[in-house]
Amino acid sequence: MLVSIAWLRSLCPFDGSAREVAAALTARGLTVDAIREEGDDAVLDIDVPANRPDCLSHRGLAREISAAWGVRLAPQPGGPAGAGAGIAELARVEVLSADLCGRYAARLVRDVRVGPSPAWVARRLSSCGLHAINNVVDASNLVLLELGHPIHVFDFQRIADRTVLVRRAAAGERLTTLDGVERSLDPEMLVIADSRRPVALAGIMGGADTGITDATREVLIEAAWFLPGSVRQTSRRLGMATDASHRFERGADPDAVAAAQEMAVRLLADLAGGTPAPGMLDVHPTPVVRRNLRLRADRVGELLGFDPGEKEIEASLDALGLAPSRALPRTFEVTVPTWRIDLEREADLVEEVGRHLGYERIPARLPVPGGEPPPHDPDTDGEERCRDVLAHLGLHEVFCYSMLAVGEDDPFSRPGSGQALAVTNPIAEPLARLRRSLLPGLIRSLDLNVRRGSRHVRLFEVGRVFLPTKSGGFPDERLRVGIAWCGAARPAHWSGPSPEVGLHHVIGVVESLLEAVRPRALWRRTDGAVPGLHPGKTAIWQAIAPEPAPGAGHNPSEPFAWCGALHPAEKKRLDLADAAFLAEVDLERLRSLPARHGGFTPLPRVPSVSRDLSLVLNPGVSFDDLRRLLAIPRPPAPVEFEVVDRYEGPPLRSTEIALTVRVILQPQERTLSDEEAEEYRAALVKALGEKEIRLRT
Amino acid sequence: MRDELRRIEREFNSALVSAGTDPQAVEEIRVRYLGRKGEVTALLKGLGSLSAEERPAAGKSINDLKERITLALLGAADAAEAEAHRLSLAHEAEDPTLPPLLPWVGSLHPVTHTRRLIERVFREMGYTVDSGPEVEDDFHNFEALNLPPEHPARDATDTFYVQGGLLLRTHTSPVQIRVMRSRRPPIRMICPGRVYRRDWDATHLPMFHQLEALVVDENISMADLKGTLALLWKRIFGPDVETRLRPGYFPFVEPGCEYDISCRVCGGCGCRACKGSGWIEIGGAGMVHPTVFEAVGVDPERYRGFAFGLGIDRIAMMRYGVDDLRLLMDNDVRFLRQFPI
Repeated sequence: MLVSIAWLRSLCPFDGSAREVAAALTARGLTVDAIREEGDDAVLDIDVPANRPDCLSHRGLAREISAAWGVRLAPQPGGPAGAGAGIAELARVEVLSADLCGRYAARLVRDVRVGPSPAWVARRLSSCGLHAINNVVDASNLVLLELGHPIHVFDFQRIADRTVLVRRAAAGERLTTLDGVERSLDPEMLVIADSRRPVALAGIMGGADTGITDATREVLIEAAWFLPGSVRQTSRRLGMATDASHRFERGADPDAVAAAQEMAVRLLADLAGGTPAPGMLDVHPTPVVRRNLRLRADRVGELLGFDPGEKEIEASLDALGLAPSRALPRTFEVTVPTWRIDLEREADLVEEVGRHLGYERIPARLPVPGGEPPPHDPDTDGEERCRDVLAHLGLHEVFCYSMLAVGEDDPFSRPGSGQALAVTNPIAEPLARLRRSLLPGLIRSLDLNVRRGSRHVRLFEVGRVFLPTKSGGFPDERLRVGIAWCGAARPAHWSGPSPEVGLHHVIGVVESLLEAVRPRALWRRTDGAVPGLHPGKTAIWQAIAPEPAPGAGHNPSEPFAWCGALHPAEKKRLDLADAAFLAEVDLERLRSLPARHGGFTPLPRVPSVSRDLSLVLNPGVSFDDLRRLLAIPRPPAPVEFEVVDRYEGPPLRSTEIALTVRVILQPQERTLSDEEAEEYRAALVKALGEKEIRLRT
Repeated sequence: MRDELRRIEREFNSALVSAGTDPQAVEEIRVRYLGRKGEVTALLKGLGSLSAEERPAAGKSINDLKERITLALLGAADAAEAEAHRLSLAHEAEDPTLPPLLPWVGSLHPVTHTRRLIERVFREMGYTVDSGPEVEDDFHNFEALNLPPEHPARDATDTFYVQGGLLLRTHTSPVQIRVMRSRRPPIRMICPGRVYRRDWDATHLPMFHQLEALVVDENISMADLKGTLALLWKRIFGPDVETRLRPGYFPFVEPGCEYDISCRVCGGCGCRACKGSGWIEIGGAGMVHPTVFEAVGVDPERYRGFAFGLGIDRIAMMRYGVDDLRLLMDNDVRFLRQFPI
């Protein structure tokens, strides 16, 4: 809000510069964003908090200055005595919707000459960002800016039957407001009406028909108090935010009605030569209740962290117009002024004292620890370890929006996983649905980098997906890690060429991550279809022991991690330049997977024995199948299998491949004899032979 | 005889010098003097032709010469071998200034670096790190925080709504509500996380990161808040940083305040970065509002608490001197790789 220093001085004769006022108001919670010099005046731009509508005026800010400087406010000049017939004989006011209107006061000024305002009025208005219109409208704006209480001026001769009704709009009623827009009204909206039609939107804007024109001779002044919620709702519904609605919806002072009328009448007499009709119609269905609050001196110290002492507390309350009296020992009773709608409880008064004394008086100390320090949180540790591992493996952490375009994650969602949740008021089309997969965002980022000239891009994100639940309501928010990789598998180097990234590089990254987050977890990797990925270039990870289900139920046979190449059709649809490999891991399921015990195993005392088997595999036989067959014969000692070579080409048939598997037997206690090793090898060969896997000769 | 021995020794010595460290030349000299047909060997063989009186003295002289030659040859052979070894090592030498073989180098997002830095300060002081859902309901995001429907302060947080009467949380404060409803004081927690506001321009993104702290105990005052904030900002921006509290309004705290830190560009003297004030506004804070305590079932007469919030993205930008907010969500690797692990 813009305020004039000269105007403030006319209300409170304080001794201080604009800069000093700005510093004092800021220190009292009314932040001054800017100071603008304007001739011999200065204008402050003040950010008035939503709970201080009393400060949306020069008088309200003058009260703060008066408290800060210890200078009394100048008394408000009185209005002229009226002449002629009293208003009670000339007009009628009836409040029909008393629930939405707590008070409605009207005065009448006759013989008004509408014309331009004098220069000082135009200057005051323009320094506060308003234009001068005519002396009557300007008078109402001066009242608004000085007292903060919005008033409205009607051309009284255009009010049918000289009757003012405060009522809900009837369904289908229409009103053309002062801005020339025709509005459709409904019974939720409070209007001011004459005997025939609505003439104003209560607390928001007047109607065009009854507005002030050059021909206006009689002005009816409205000063009222409308229910904040009602004004707010109507203003929202109609998209009309006005200076009046801004104040009414935050809470105007019901007691300021008379003062506003007094000032308006005085201005209309001074600026427009009008003569007021004696008296004021004042319909007051809701009496103003003055709130009394109690403040314990000890509570001030407990909340602020220092005890200012009773004297200073009392002086602060007094300076703020709270009229403190002592009820009990070390306890003050205060009466809250009607304009301070924000003061509702004891804590509010503590803030008032703190604000007045200055927050710089609060000492600084650290809280004394109470209770045990918290245990380590394995979940957060795992999440952070995941970030570290991926960054160490050469991936860059990114953040993608949690929202996607409509349908953007459909290709990556499992059938039956439900529709993505809609943001009902999206800010842009690409942010209209809550994501069910991290992959679309990563693909977007990958693509952006490639288009900007980066050839090799490796990205990861740790973030949530939002899975709709069958019951509706809160979605199942799951923390996932997503990975996207395109370009080379290793940095280019003079020592030799680097291969392009492939399925097995990504599998390696995923498994490093699995091991880092949940060491020795029981899972298995296999092939399996993943939506949106190349059907022949995927891997999925499944639990191999029953999991305790975290959060809302999931299907245990569902993989908890998957990776692979982006489906060529998707790549084409997205118009991506490069092949991309993607992975996604459900961190919450991973963290809760059962794991092997991680104890110490004694070191073997005897050497290991190994045998290599060069095997020819028929199409469709995977290494996993092979390993299952190799597990059938009972080994004479703990055994491990390593793949040391893979070959395809002549003399093998084009569909065959050869794998060389190294079988490593590691006895713990005694050396294995050659016969035992050979016997085991023979058993393996026999078991494989039964499934038509032959040795390569 | 003596002259003959002197000549042989002189010639041997000069031959050995000219052979240098060439192992081939040294071997040839050995053959020439000590070989089967060598000169010294020939002298020893000729001893038989001497008289019995001459033989012992001559024999000793020749054997002495042979020993000297043998030792000299051994020395030369060692030197030659050492030289050969040196040469072979020199041949194996590599250029260490060539680009090394490195794995890919990754990075963490500047917001992650900054969040971790802040988290560490609080973990050291025994705070827990808590989280809550990003899709919230009106109760946790607004109502329990003393923001009833139609409250004008709701204007400041333009909210994204989600089908089913839900919303995307506009701040991390609902986590405070959830923690206070599930745990009894004393509570010391921080909650970092994503928050959402319907605002998108050069200085606002519709999604950003907040971190809030909450301490609830029997003896908490604004002095504890002030001390905690002062410590945090000294740990983040260095020992010279000043913190100040200004009265400010947030419905969920009373007394409430905003807090500023001294401008890091000018050190508090006033510059363009701080609009001449010497202070940079960081966030909101205050004592937990009694209404909030009542909403979560904590007795406001027995317990008091402080809370404060900050925007991690903005702190990250200040730490690293990033001048364009949009870079944080662009995910351009040329930006990201400037923040290695």
